[in-house]
Amino acid sequence: MAINPPADVAADLGPAEARHRWVAAALDFCRRRSLGAVGAVVVVVMILMALSATALAPYDPLAVDFGSMLSAPSAQHWLGTDSFGRDVLSRLIYGSRTALLVGFGAAFLGSTVGAILGVGSAYFGGRVDLYLQRVMDVFLSFPLIILALAIVAILGNSLQNVTMAIMVPMIPRCALVIRSSGLAIREMPYVDAARAAGFGHARIILRHMLPNVMAPFLIMLTAFLGQAILLEASLSFLGLGVQEPTASWGLMLRGAAVEFAETAPWMAIFPGLAISLAVFAFSLFGDSLRDALDPKLRSL
Amino acid sequence: MGKYILKRFLLMIPTLLGVAVLIFFLMRVVPGDIVELRFSGESSFASKEMLDKERARFGLDRPLWRQFAEWMWGVVRFDFGTSMWTGSPIFEEIKLRFALSLQLAIMATIVAVLLAIPLGVLAALRQDTWVDYVVRIFSIAGIATPSFWLGIVFILGLLIVFKWLPPMVYTPFWVDPWQNMLQLIWPALAVGYRYSAVATRMTRSAMLEVLREDYIRTARAKGLVEKLILSRHALKNAMLPVLTVVGIEFAFLMGGLVVTEQVFNLNGLGLLFVQSVAHRDYTLTQALVLLVASVFIVVNFVMDLMYAWLDPRIRYR
Repeated sequence: MAINPPADVAADLGPAEARHRWVAAALDFCRRRSLGAVGAVVVVVMILMALSATALAPYDPLAVDFGSMLSAPSAQHWLGTDSFGRDVLSRLIYGSRTALLVGFGAAFLGSTVGAILGVGSAYFGGRVDLYLQRVMDVFLSFPLIILALAIVAILGNSLQNVTMAIMVPMIPRCALVIRSSGLAIREMPYVDAARAAGFGHARIILRHMLPNVMAPFLIMLTAFLGQAILLEASLSFLGLGVQEPTASWGLMLRGAAVEFAETAPWMAIFPGLAISLAVFAFSLFGDSLRDALDPKLRSL
Repeated sequence: MGKYILKRFLLMIPTLLGVAVLIFFLMRVVPGDIVELRFSGESSFASKEMLDKERARFGLDRPLWRQFAEWMWGVVRFDFGTSMWTGSPIFEEIKLRFALSLQLAIMATIVAVLLAIPLGVLAALRQDTWVDYVVRIFSIAGIATPSFWLGIVFILGLLIVFKWLPPMVYTPFWVDPWQNMLQLIWPALAVGYRYSAVATRMTRSAMLEVLREDYIRTARAKGLVEKLILSRHALKNAMLPVLTVVGIEFAFLMGGLVVTEQVFNLNGLGLLFVQSVAHRDYTLTQALVLLVASVFIVVNFVMDLMYAWLDPRIRYR
């Protein structure tokens, strides 16, 4: 186990030493899973880029300049301009904000709600479990994109609503995985002890069971991050996600990018590369994290 | 076994019913209905009476539970009614598009299997070498690359390198197989590459697991040729989880190709779904969702049966 310091050791250590253990665990992760570390570095760079977009972007991402429409990459516009003369690089940098906001928002909310439902389903068992599982089955039999499309159609397409639409299909997928881990945890003596001590259901679920499904939770969360970014791009590409003039990678691939693909290929190439690189980095990191956290898969 | 099949079969019914209820009410929650959309398209002012009359024609003035009951009664008799937008029977609307989406899904699945199995086996045999890493990066790149963007890149590449564009008008396979293939092979490659990723990982880990089994050691000990050990003993036993993954992905492909269809100008189920939602065409949307969900549920059912048939332990759980 590379990530968690053993609980008994950590308990004896002071805060400074405990922190030292975490740094050591992180270093160990980098050494043993170099691909994952590369992914993590790209993710961190992307987050920094999104945070400092105002300082980094050479142009205003929304500034229309009809004098330099569809101009090829040059010293002024490193990645060229689009059909409104907007700087592609600046829009890419600002687009990372949209991608990360929707990605983190949807993945975090979706896996959290899914985890609570999954643990609850495992904890209560019986009827509750049966009914919850049937409801999850219903949501699972919708293709991801169709469910998201329907939700956007209902709520309208603001940034929050797109996040909602991407989050909902993730809930049952996470609940399914967490439930199977939760079933094993329900049988643990400490859950019996908590029940014997007279704690309420909510307390047992949130304080005793939820922390112990952290590993599958983190695995699902990192897997969802990439998927959420991809789904946001797909929805925006269809015109059902984030709306113009907001900078979004999927939106940049829509319309003019395809129409002028032959004369101005930079409009279609760079946003796609940005999406691929971002999802690639998240997947690399998530994959390595899964290998490190899941003892069953570790040996394989 | 009979009891297991029956139990598993009966479990499909509440799921399908749930899907029907969900999409029925989802559609009614979407603001605006088909009548408003129709009349807002025309510049003339539509009076409230006209709107109400039109709603009555579609039966939208009746209580919701009755609309639902009538729809369900149609569904159990395989009568999905007519599209509210075009007025033609739903069956006719879906028929051609279903054939297109089905063909594309089958082709993409073939591409995915052809990529996944050799790559997965190779990665397993060369575990933790550079070959393993290259395969891993290749397959993660597949997950990361949006297939609609890959489609754009394919088209762009063909245009720049060969000065040739794939046909943009759909020709059914039975009319001209060559034209049909020329058009559909590109989206199939783009989607198949993406979907090969999960199957590759599955093949690799299943192979690694199987290669550690006693019967593989026995086969080696009795001096069997390595090639035979791999194909007869290892691969055969490693295929079950891979087949499951491929089957489930195939089921998802039926309804999940919305974006790729857009890029390649294909008039498949995905595009029809987007249009029907935009038109608030309740009958068509409901039929489409039910169709896609049924495919998914039935494929899952078949997978479960296959598992139970191959692994008797599952039946008694």
